[in-house]
Amino acid sequence: MIFHIAKKEFLNNLLSARFVIGFLLCLVLIPFSILINVDDYRDQANQYRLDQAAAEKSLKEIRVYSALRPQIIFAPEPLGIFGKGISAQVGNKVWIHLGEMPLLAEGIAATRDNRFLASFFSIDFVDIAAIIFSLLALLFSFDALTREKENGTLRLQMANSLSRSKLLAGKVVGILMTLLPILVFCFLLGSVVILLSGDLSFTNSEWGRLAALAFASLIYLAVFIFIGLLVSSRTKSSVTSLVLCLFLWVLLVFIVPNLSSYFAESFVGIQSRDNLDRVLNDFDRSTLERIAVVEKNLPRPDWQMSWYMSSAEDGYRELYGLSASYFEWERQRASAVEPMRIDNADKKWGPQRAYLDSLDRQARAADFMAMISPAGIFRIIASASCGTDRATHQKRMDEVRRYRETFVRYLQGKNIFASTAYITPTPPSAFRTADALVTARTGGKFKSVKEYDDWASNQKDFRARWAVLGTVKLPNDRPDGFPYLTVDDMPRFTGRAVTVFGALEGSILRLGLILFESLILFALAYIAFIKYDVR
Amino acid sequence: MFKTILKREILHNLYSLRFILSLVLILAVFIAHSLSFVRSHPSALNSYRESRGLAVKTMQKDASGSATRLAVTQRNYDLRPRDNAFIADAKEKFLPNSLVFSAWNVFGFQNKSGSSNPFLPSYDELNWMFIAALIISFVTFLFTFDAVSGEKESRTLAQALSNSVSRGTLLFGKYLSANLSVMLILVPGVLISLLIVLSTGAASWNGSLAGEAAAYLAAAGLLTAVMAAFGLLCSVLARNSNVSLLLALSAWILFAVVIPNSSGFLAKNLFPIEKAETVMKRSNKAREDLSRAAPPGSWMMNSGNPFLPQHELRANLQRKLLAAEKQIRDAYYLNMFRQFEQTRRLIAISPVAAFEYLIEASVGGGYQRFRKVWDDLHIFQIQFQDFFTALDAKDPKSPHWFNPSEDVSTTRLPVPFETVPQFTERSMSFADRFKPAFKYLITLILMGCVVYFTSFILFVRYDVR
Repeated sequence: MIFHIAKKEFLNNLLSARFVIGFLLCLVLIPFSILINVDDYRDQANQYRLDQAAAEKSLKEIRVYSALRPQIIFAPEPLGIFGKGISAQVGNKVWIHLGEMPLLAEGIAATRDNRFLASFFSIDFVDIAAIIFSLLALLFSFDALTREKENGTLRLQMANSLSRSKLLAGKVVGILMTLLPILVFCFLLGSVVILLSGDLSFTNSEWGRLAALAFASLIYLAVFIFIGLLVSSRTKSSVTSLVLCLFLWVLLVFIVPNLSSYFAESFVGIQSRDNLDRVLNDFDRSTLERIAVVEKNLPRPDWQMSWYMSSAEDGYRELYGLSASYFEWERQRASAVEPMRIDNADKKWGPQRAYLDSLDRQARAADFMAMISPAGIFRIIASASCGTDRATHQKRMDEVRRYRETFVRYLQGKNIFASTAYITPTPPSAFRTADALVTARTGGKFKSVKEYDDWASNQKDFRARWAVLGTVKLPNDRPDGFPYLTVDDMPRFTGRAVTVFGALEGSILRLGLILFESLILFALAYIAFIKYDVR
Repeated sequence: MFKTILKREILHNLYSLRFILSLVLILAVFIAHSLSFVRSHPSALNSYRESRGLAVKTMQKDASGSATRLAVTQRNYDLRPRDNAFIADAKEKFLPNSLVFSAWNVFGFQNKSGSSNPFLPSYDELNWMFIAALIISFVTFLFTFDAVSGEKESRTLAQALSNSVSRGTLLFGKYLSANLSVMLILVPGVLISLLIVLSTGAASWNGSLAGEAAAYLAAAGLLTAVMAAFGLLCSVLARNSNVSLLLALSAWILFAVVIPNSSGFLAKNLFPIEKAETVMKRSNKAREDLSRAAPPGSWMMNSGNPFLPQHELRANLQRKLLAAEKQIRDAYYLNMFRQFEQTRRLIAISPVAAFEYLIEASVGGGYQRFRKVWDDLHIFQIQFQDFFTALDAKDPKSPHWFNPSEDVSTTRLPVPFETVPQFTERSMSFADRFKPAFKYLITLILMGCVVYFTSFILFVRYDVR
């Protein structure tokens, strides 16, 4: 009997205008949302390849260990085509620095070329699914009982030896039979677009996670069907049921998710970024002061002239053509200063961690409030399935921080800060005294630094002072003659791939919650229908 | 007869469940939003004042040290949280909200770190604009989707037209009543929100706020009129209310969700601009070329004596570097503005988007505000430069070799901070706001007229039996 009712319901729905229009909506919006995001994914994948190549090149083309600072680039998540989650906001690049623990990733895709575009939000498959599936579920269920009551057919059916539970089950199966093909069609359409895009390919894990997303969509669909049935079994006319359902739709799909984030931002404060920056600056300033003391206490070199020097952030110094004592001064400086900077990074991590925790607390509060709505839960599960949620990003950042520790240990293991290889590729055997350097550079015109200084102090043309030092070009004065470092033994970052279980690990409870919600709603609809006046 | 129809329709709407639900929903959202704003705005202001205070202290310290240090140091001017942000935040959290400048250039802009929580998914802030754009537009469709098809189903349409009433009058009666009913829902919400915001001191009542609130109501009325016209169009396109409902919902999803959220895709594909990396490469190359062509000794540093000849070489080089970089960057910024503006013009085919841009202009926020500050800061930078040049001219110990990046070869005398020109953002004038608002205003009016006229034509040919 359930089958007959379901079949009747299915055929009725199939021939209705709402099926045609609903189907057309999916036919237009689903490929559109996928195409938009495939386009974005291609851009990101191209950029990723360029960034990755640049990062590799920057590791290979170095001559000193102080320039060895790996850059981690996160590959774009292919399932981000279905649900972007927070991936558009969190960036995908992290520099591994000795003086800084990675806080937030850089290179936010949305603002890479035009910062103003960050104010344009984009839509994805998950958004469209959350809107359309819920709407269709409500449109097919809001009048499941009221329409039959209005037509008088409900009374007729109940006059037969048909139990109310069987009728309700038949209606649920009928509506599911109507909507399931649309849902399957949407996922198939999405998959076909992916398969036809020659440059995209999913791994088994990604197909598995897509199947998990389809399963979550099915439960989400069921929740809204039960909401529609519950409303239908508590109202007497289709118009009332429709109006209630539509208001519930707007409330649950649009207002609650936005309201939850808005409330979380207003009522769950985060630590001020300005404050954090000030605290970090204080740490840096204090470290710089200690570094200045160290530098002051080091024995001064006999001739403090940098012939060729490059320096940049995070302790990078590349030196050529210095006197032996100046090289030694720089070596001693690096061996004292670099551990201090590493220590400073560890100290800064406390306030940084507290800041990150406050961001996380606010986001968790928003998630918690969003769980009032099935659409909120669905979006959280969907972004977890797609590997674009907060938890996946945080796990990845934790891996990056652990990698930094490994990298620091690698440098410390080589005792590289105490070696001149940290600041120059010139072998110590080729270091010369200041007097020898002056003699060689001036072609023997001056025999010592003192002689040169005495002469230079009488020269008004400062260019002439330099010119005389360039009389003879010395082989170790520039980087060109030195080979690049070989750092094959350096540990590489290997992030763990997102697996089906790994992605859904944190969402099991939420999946359970939405299942529980659907069961409760069905039970409520059943109880309401038992008491329903079918006349 | 028109009055009778109007009265009947309004009463019909007022007694309907959809009116009560809409009223409850909208009042609840207005109250929730206002309470939230009252809580978050003061802390945002405090944080801004704290950061501004520190910036001023740094400037005072620089001024007491050396006028040149004051002139060459790059500073950030952060935009103050707007008191009228409860009407429309205009996505300022996501737009550039901090501008970098010195006496020599306005270098660029950025979205201040910490402006938004990156772990929170992007969302539309709940404010008056959101309420009108999303909820009011939806409610308007609910009031109009069955205005014709519903009456045809219940067979009251034929009866109504059997009286001496023209189709035009009937349609206009329905149209006007839907508009008035929606405004009856919106106005109490606005008044309650104003009451909460003003009574808690989160904003103060003045002529400007009154004007902005009135402009909001007018713009919301215009949006309602356009959406009501679309609702009527859906109603006369279908023979039964189920189909017209689906058409109306499809139109709403298209206007309120799909079109506004496709902007990024349209911007990149229809109005592409150069990649940031390419621009950076070009800028770096220009710098390298200039550095390479500079006379020997240009990079020699020795800040002890300002009159050392190499300082003049380096000052010349730094000025050339700045000019070259400025030319490349300013052209890039113009392209950014153009891409953003062109996309918004296209997106304004959605009445919801056009309404959002109209409100943004009327509250003097968002992109329009940024552009005004950007332009004003350029004017200020030249004034600041003139002030510094005049100051330097008075110092006999200065060689007057203007170096835009270093505190070395211009006056090193301290300068009284009170005499230093300060940049303060000026509120947008009526003309500043009206100019960008005008095109969206015209768009909405034209859209409303065309859609209503189409509905009228279709209704004239509608089979009412």
